[in-house]
Amino acid sequence: MTQPLLQIDNLTVSFPSPGRGPRLLAAHGVNLAVYPGQTLAVVGESGSGKSVSALSILQLIPTPGSYDSGRILWHEGGQTMDLLQCSDKRMQHYRGNQIAMIFQEPMTSLNPVYTIGQQILEAILLHQKVSRSEAIAIAEQALRDVGIAAPGSRLREYPHQLSGGMRQRVMIAMALACQPRLLLADEPTTALDVTIQAQILELLRHIQRSKDMAMILITHDLGVVAENADVVAVMYAGRILEVAGVESLFDRPLHPYTRGLLKSMPVLGVAAKRLPTVADGATPPEDFPSGYRVQPHEMSPDQTGCAPYGGLDAKLHEVEPRHWVLCVGKQATVSAPHLAHRRAVTAAG
Amino acid sequence: MSEKTPKTQSLSRRAWRAVLSSWGARLGLTWVALLLIMGGFAPLLANSYPLLWKVDGQWSSPMMQRLTATDVTWMVAVTSAAVLLLIGRWRLRVRLGVLLGVIVATASIAAALIVDKPLPDYERYRTTKAEFALFAPVRYSPNDRVRDIQQIEPDGPCWAGYEHQHWLGQNDLREDVASRMIHACRIVLSIGLIATGIAAFLGIIIGGFMGYFAAGFDLIGMRLVEVFEFIPQLFLLLMFAAFFPGDNPQILPGIHIQRIYLIMAIIGVTGWTGYARFVRAEFLKLRKQDFVTAAHALGLPLRSILFKHMLPNGLTPVLVSATFGIASAILAEATLSFLGFGLNEDPSWGQLLNQAARGGSFVWWIAIFPGLAIFLTVFAYNLIGESLRDAIDPHTQKA
Repeated sequence: MTQPLLQIDNLTVSFPSPGRGPRLLAAHGVNLAVYPGQTLAVVGESGSGKSVSALSILQLIPTPGSYDSGRILWHEGGQTMDLLQCSDKRMQHYRGNQIAMIFQEPMTSLNPVYTIGQQILEAILLHQKVSRSEAIAIAEQALRDVGIAAPGSRLREYPHQLSGGMRQRVMIAMALACQPRLLLADEPTTALDVTIQAQILELLRHIQRSKDMAMILITHDLGVVAENADVVAVMYAGRILEVAGVESLFDRPLHPYTRGLLKSMPVLGVAAKRLPTVADGATPPEDFPSGYRVQPHEMSPDQTGCAPYGGLDAKLHEVEPRHWVLCVGKQATVSAPHLAHRRAVTAAG
Repeated sequence: MSEKTPKTQSLSRRAWRAVLSSWGARLGLTWVALLLIMGGFAPLLANSYPLLWKVDGQWSSPMMQRLTATDVTWMVAVTSAAVLLLIGRWRLRVRLGVLLGVIVATASIAAALIVDKPLPDYERYRTTKAEFALFAPVRYSPNDRVRDIQQIEPDGPCWAGYEHQHWLGQNDLREDVASRMIHACRIVLSIGLIATGIAAFLGIIIGGFMGYFAAGFDLIGMRLVEVFEFIPQLFLLLMFAAFFPGDNPQILPGIHIQRIYLIMAIIGVTGWTGYARFVRAEFLKLRKQDFVTAAHALGLPLRSILFKHMLPNGLTPVLVSATFGIASAILAEATLSFLGFGLNEDPSWGQLLNQAARGGSFVWWIAIFPGLAIFLTVFAYNLIGESLRDAIDPHTQKA
C-alpha cells in the first residue's frame, strides 16, 4: 500500500464562543488521508467544518481559533513533517508551493489594485528560482493551461476586467503555477453558473490527471462529488460521519445522515413536491442533545449493527471493507480511514 | 501584439484622470505648480545679484557664483520633477524613486562642493557701473536690507522707477516683501510635504499593525493614539520654540538642528493619529477579505501582505486626508511664525504677517500679500483634497 501524501490525524479546531461558553468545536477529531493523484471530496453543509479542516492544513484558520489536538502529516520523499508544528516561516515553503488553495469567491480573491500578471509573478518569483522573463513564460503557460486565450495580454489586465469564470481560471492558474503536489479547492464552483462550473471542474480534472496532483475538493454539491471524487468524506458539525470510495458511498450509504443527504438531492425527471430535508440542518453543534452530534432525521432499519451513530464516544469504524462510519461499534474495528482508492477512469474523462 | 486588447487602466490612473477633470483640482494644482516654480527658481526670480553682467569687458554671473547648495538642490529637484512628469511612460513608483535619487544625489554633491560664501555686499552690485547688467524681475535678495537710504518708514509697493522698485513693498527691516515671499515658497512646500510625510508614515505603520494584528496590539495602539491626541500641537510647538531660540538651536549638547526641521518633526510626530485611525479601520476590514487569505495561502511573507497587498487597498482615505494635512501643517507654521516663534532670518509668510503689526502701526502691504498667499495655498490644497475624495469615494462617483 502506498503512503498517503497528506494525513490529517485526529484534528480538533475550536473557536471561543461569544460570551462565556464552552469553546465551539469547528472540527472534532477529524481523520482524513489523501494519496498522490487522488481526489478526496469533503461534503457537508455550511458550518460542518470542511473549510476549517482545509484551512488548518495551511495553518490559516481565522485568528481566535486554535488547534486543540491532532497532527497534519505531510509525507514527502520518505520524510514526514507535522504541518501543525511548523513555524510561520517554515509554512511559507508549503503554502502556495507544495500545497495551493483556491477559494469560493473568484470575484474577491484577486487583489483589485494589481494586474493578473503582477499577482501570478509574485508567487512564482517567491517560490521558484527563476528570472523575471522565465517567470513570465511560466505565468503565460499557466494561463494557457487553464484555457485562457492570449495570455500575454491578459497578464496586463486588472481583475475587474475579467468575468467570474475567467477570474476563477486565473486563481487556478495562480495556484498551479508553482506545480503544487496538493490542491485545496474550497467550493471552487459555488459562485459560478452551471456551464462555467462544468468547465472549471473539467479543467481541474484534466490538470490533475496531467500533473498527477492530489486534490481535496470541498463542496456541498453532491453532483460535483459524484463526477469528480475518488474518495468521499461526509462531514457534519465538525465530525466526519462517513468515508468511502465514491461508488461505494453513492451505492450503499451507511450513515443515516448520508442517506438523508442523498435523498435530498433532486433527481432529473422525477417529479417531487417537497424534497426531504435534514431535520436539524441549521442547529449549531452546541445545541445538539447532549452526547449526540447527529440527530438522524430518518431512522431506517439498522444495517450495520452499530448504533447509535452519534455520541461523544463515537469513532470511525470500518464497518464494511473500505467503508468507514462514525458510530459506537460492537464488532467493527476502529481505524483511521486510509483509502488509496481511485475511481474507474471513464471514457469521457 | 497581434490582437487588439482594450487599454488597461489601473484604479489609481482612473482616479488621477477624474481628479484632473475637475476644475477645482486644476486650479489647486496650478497654484501648487506655481509655488514649486517660484520656490525652485527663486534665485532667478528674486535676487540682488545680476543674473549676467559685463564689467571691464568681463562677462560674469554673480548670481551663479552666489548659489547655495540649497538653491542648486531645489532647482535640480523642480526641473527633474517637471521632466519626469512630462516625458516617459514610466510607472509612478519608478518616477518617484528617480526623483528622490536625483534630489539626494544633488543635495549631497552640492553640499560637498559648494562652500559657504562670506557675507554679501549687496550695495556693490547696485553702485558698480556695469556695461551691461541683467537683473532678476525682483531686484532684491530676501535678506537684502536697504540700509543706506536715510528713511525710517518702509516703502510701500512701488512699481515705478528702477532703483527702488519694490513690487510688494518693504517690510519693517526694509527687506523686499516680494523677494521674501518668493523665497518663502520653499518653506511652505517643504513643511507641508515633510511634516505630512512623517505623520502619514508613522500613521500607516502603527495603524497597519493595529488593524492587522488587532486584539492586544490594537488595544495598546489605540491608547497610544488617544495619548497623542491629547497633546496640543500648537502649544508644544510654542514650548519648543521658547526653549530653543534661534534659527539653528542646540537641542542636545553638541547637536544643532535647523528650526524648520524641528517644526516639521513636531507637526509630524503629533499629527499621525488621524492617519493611524484611518489605516487601522481599513486594515480591520481588509484582513478578512478573500484576497488577503489567498495571499496567505500563496505563502507570501507578512511584509508583502501588509504593505504590498493590503496597504494600496486601504490608502485612499490617507491620501485624501494627507492633502488636508498639508494645508493644516502650512497653517501651523504660519501661526507659529505669526506669533514670532518661527524662523528669524529665513523668510516665511507667517513671519511677514507678524512684521506687519510689529512696528506699532499696521502696514497693510506686509499683511495683505502674505495673508493672501497663505489663504490661496491652503485653499488650493483643500481643492485638491476635495476632488481627490470625489474621485476615490464610490458614494459620490457618477455612474
